[in-house]
Amino acid sequence: MAVEMRDFAPNRAIESSAHAASGILSVQIRKRFDTTEHGFELDVATELPPGITIVFGPSGAGKTTLLECIAGLLTPNNGRVAIENRIFFDRSLGVDVQVHKRKIGYVFQDLALFPHLTVQQNIEYGLRELNAALRVEKTSTILDSFRISSLRDRKPSQISGGERQRVALARSLVTDPCLLLLDEPLAALDGVTKTKIVEDLRIWNAAHCIPILYVTHSREEVLALGDRVLMLEAGKIIAQGPTREVI
Amino acid sequence: MDWQSLLLTIRLSAIVAAILFVIALPVAYWITYSRWRWKFLVEAAVGLPIVLPPTVLGFYLLIALGARSPLGHFWQSITGHTLAFTFQGLVIGSIIYSLPFAVQPFAASFAAVDSRLIAASATLGASKLRTFREIILPLSKPGLVAGIALSFAHTMGEFGVVLMVGGNIPGVTRTVSIEVYDQVQALNYSAASITALILLGISFSLLSLVYALNRRVFAVWLWK
Repeated sequence: MAVEMRDFAPNRAIESSAHAASGILSVQIRKRFDTTEHGFELDVATELPPGITIVFGPSGAGKTTLLECIAGLLTPNNGRVAIENRIFFDRSLGVDVQVHKRKIGYVFQDLALFPHLTVQQNIEYGLRELNAALRVEKTSTILDSFRISSLRDRKPSQISGGERQRVALARSLVTDPCLLLLDEPLAALDGVTKTKIVEDLRIWNAAHCIPILYVTHSREEVLALGDRVLMLEAGKIIAQGPTREVI
Repeated sequence: MDWQSLLLTIRLSAIVAAILFVIALPVAYWITYSRWRWKFLVEAAVGLPIVLPPTVLGFYLLIALGARSPLGHFWQSITGHTLAFTFQGLVIGSIIYSLPFAVQPFAASFAAVDSRLIAASATLGASKLRTFREIILPLSKPGLVAGIALSFAHTMGEFGVVLMVGGNIPGVTRTVSIEVYDQVQALNYSAASITALILLGISFSLLSLVYALNRRVFAVWLWK
């Protein structure tokens, strides 16, 4: 499915919520699974600067495992995950920060919107530590930015696939994460919808400048979306660098 | 029809269902999410009342509640009487007897909650307690209602444990099922049939509720 990139004017609403830029993501992890017949080992060491990095590779390459290890949903057997001096995981130091304290945004492949909550409640879910006024303000801003204000009182089952995608992205971004992990978030969308959502994401990141890991197995998405590519195969990095050079 | 025994049975069932709701929630949560390798032993212990003859369970409870046991001794030092053959003793016995009927539907409904929703909640900064309260519990409503209804209905119909632990004291431990037994023993079949019919009606209504909750449409309706 083709993904077009178009020129666009920066969205002031998204820019207005910008905060201090994040640093370089440093990942050195080893995670072994012995459940399959021959076992599987993810062995990755890389440093990723702010901006969109595409994690590319065939099914079973370890893309989702990499994201889950970074987010803390899986515990690596060895290694270290950190952004600048903020350590999330370090086996040698005995550091393993709990998932809910990492402040890492994660958009799942199936989006994982809470079915019993409305769009607004889904987006507000990650803002519990803020006072009510600030929570309402941030929610309204992101709803406007992603053009989903009219959906605020609907449940996820009452909106379209593209709208659900926007809600999932908005729900992660509204928390001002220091790192964003996207696991094939646009796989089920048509080209036009995909392009619009990518534009929103690029505008947001132009203002926030955090590392974004975008998992895909689509070569077209790699060429259209990423500044950098990390190619995985059988749990190992086989190439990494600027998109045009690697692809 | 002895309305006193019916009211006592309903009171006993309501108290047991309410206490079980509080006790079974953390037990079911632990059973669902614990990765302890010996967890199956706890699961088997919780499920024992399903397969154990009520008289056997009642016998052990009678011993456990008696004046020579630590619990019975402690209770006697506070109240001046033992737990056996009292309403409180009946409540404790019924809680243990009906525990699996609350824990298992609760655990099944927790396990049915998509693990991605739980992961999403964590990545959005929610602690395990908040995730349980705001995601797992609301999405488990049909299972929770089923567990409460089943534990209520099971307590209403219990006989062996009640007879062993509570005896047959009118107004204190004499439940509807024991009344039916007494009426049959006295060859008072017409009174027994009325009492049995009432118990049948209540139990059927509660089970209908449980099965209705398992229907998708009704489950969705509950969320709204």
